[in-house]
Amino acid sequence: MLETINLTKRYEDGQLAVDHLNFKVEPGEIFCMFGANGSGKTTTINLFLNFIPPTEGTALIEGIDVTKEPLRSKDFISFVSENVTLYGNFTAFQNLDYFTKLAGKRGLTKADYAKAMNSVGLQEEAFDVRTKNYSKGMRQKLGLAIAIVKDAPNILLDEPTSGLDPKSGQEFLNLLIQMRDKGKSIFMSTHDIFRAKLIADRVGFMKKGRLVIMKTRQELEGEDLTELYIQYMEERPESELKP
Amino acid sequence: MLKDIIKKEILETITSAKFVFTFLLCAILILLSVYTGIVNYRADQKEFSAAVALNKKNLESQSSYQALAGLGTKINKPPQVLGAISTGVDEAVGRVATVNIAYDPSLVDSKYESNPVFSVFGALDLTFIVKIVLSLFAILFTYDAIVGEKEKGTLKLTLSNRVPRDRLILGKVIGGFISLLIPLIIPLILSLLILLVYPNISLAGQDWLRLLLMFLMFFLYLSVFFTLGLLVSARTSKSSTSFLVLLFIWVIFVTIIPKLSVMSAGRLKPIPSVHEITAKKDAFLQQIQSGAQKQVMDWAKENSAMAAKDRKGYQEKLRKFLEDWQQDLTSKIDENNAALERDYQAKKKSQERLAINISRISPASALTFSTMSFARTGLDEHERFLASIRAYKPIFTKWASAKMMRTIDFSGSGQTAKVVLDDMPQHKFEPETLSKSLARTIPDFGLMLFLIIVFFAGAYVSFLKFDVR
Repeated sequence: MLETINLTKRYEDGQLAVDHLNFKVEPGEIFCMFGANGSGKTTTINLFLNFIPPTEGTALIEGIDVTKEPLRSKDFISFVSENVTLYGNFTAFQNLDYFTKLAGKRGLTKADYAKAMNSVGLQEEAFDVRTKNYSKGMRQKLGLAIAIVKDAPNILLDEPTSGLDPKSGQEFLNLLIQMRDKGKSIFMSTHDIFRAKLIADRVGFMKKGRLVIMKTRQELEGEDLTELYIQYMEERPESELKP
Repeated sequence: MLKDIIKKEILETITSAKFVFTFLLCAILILLSVYTGIVNYRADQKEFSAAVALNKKNLESQSSYQALAGLGTKINKPPQVLGAISTGVDEAVGRVATVNIAYDPSLVDSKYESNPVFSVFGALDLTFIVKIVLSLFAILFTYDAIVGEKEKGTLKLTLSNRVPRDRLILGKVIGGFISLLIPLIIPLILSLLILLVYPNISLAGQDWLRLLLMFLMFFLYLSVFFTLGLLVSARTSKSSTSFLVLLFIWVIFVTIIPKLSVMSAGRLKPIPSVHEITAKKDAFLQQIQSGAQKQVMDWAKENSAMAAKDRKGYQEKLRKFLEDWQQDLTSKIDENNAALERDYQAKKKSQERLAINISRISPASALTFSTMSFARTGLDEHERFLASIRAYKPIFTKWASAKMMRTIDFSGSGQTAKVVLDDMPQHKFEPETLSKSLARTIPDFGLMLFLIIVFFAGAYVSFLKFDVR
């Protein structure tokens, strides 16, 4: 489970990136966070990964405070970034092997890696290809394969579908659904409202570091998510926003 | 985990195009430089042997001791086998000095004198390759070691796992350094094999130790640039900025500081020019010669009565007088010249020391001076050799003067004494011992270690605080 309690980040230049953020992502749930660039989505992920310290509040991974036990908390989290580049001179196998070992998993065989790569839809002939020759979609899939092999109960995804073609994007979302069905807590920051609508159990909108609205899948039924997105992303006084 | 990080660093580097390029270029340059160095050494050795034999033949063919004293003997500087690795100043300074009764000896006939164009570019020895080429490779291997991973996103992915930052930087340092050493060590081992199998090249036990110390210095020098690369890579937010900063520091270290140090030392401790010294020597010579002529005339006047009475006795007395007069004259000239020379050399040495010590801020200078010391091709060895020749000069002069005076023919028969060289004193030169060379290079070792520690500590601390976003 992922949780933030009054999580706040103010940078040294005074910019308030995250402002008293409170939410939970339960096991078996996909939480999609929307927001314009600079709204604080990626900062939230960076706070979960303890890449930056919070100014106030707490980020918890499986109940572990990431600032107090940063290394232990990382045993329970997988991360897939917007643009998984990996080590270009390494093959998919080599990349997978390296990051799996960093995750503390030992004794996995090539067959285990092949299984993970098969599960994300990578073709076998691509396993021994250097990843610098991979398309973005293939790299994202491999990034997810790394997360699958790590098998952490929580997954953070930072705009993972941006730049993917429709087919690759759909395949990627299907993989996320499979992982949710296995009980993973998935937090995804995204601009991709069309795809997110298909898989999100809950969505949140961030604006100037604040979580301005949160809606469940049921609450979203009958709502036009695009309109909601535009409404919340526009520069309007908060009092004018629809609850 | 550390092992995995090291393994990944090595594997990532050796599978890259830049490694293949570096390895090939290093192998070609190192092997070429060592091979060329050995070939040059063999040629110098042959030239040296021929010059020594020719000198002996020339001396023996002299018709009289007067001719021999005027012609003098030639002292050739023996080539150093480790000059194949570090040429030092050997090609720029003279290789042969003429020792006669008239002039102060100085080393002339440098390789650059005969081929001045070489002095423009310098020698392509192993020290040059490490100093210029490999240090650039060290930068090339490290400028993006940290910031590059940030740009690629792999740093975030790595640190999203249970990876302590200190272990990651340690793994990067060890793995990266091993990767850098591979293109150096393999050609170096091959170079040693060439040294071993090349005919007529023999390295004494001490030479091997000197060679190992030179290699150690190479590793330390590359470590300086390697750790500097890591430091800059951990302090910048773009790999292009990191590369530019490193290139700027490299230019300062490798080219600017050494040149500036020489210029500064020249300003801070000026020395008289060679022409001034020569003018002073000539003035003294003229002064003493006019005095000496008067001395001879006075003696002749005093003893003119004896010349008429006892001609044989007079000749014997004249011979004795001339022998003493000549010894006195040459020793006065030698003493004066030696004093002027001592003063000049002391000032020159002081200026050189200042230049060397200022330039030692740069690891490139420290590398140059230390490898020259180990190869016995440095300024100190050159000065020691020159000093040994200057010390030999009065010994030779005394011997030649004595021989000349003893063989003056007053009979007018025209017969001259046959030149016999059996008792001619020989020039002796003991090369510097390893312990002295080692003592001389302690500041260079110290500087390198200091820079490595400072740069590594800086990189380590910077990485612990590095913004991976």
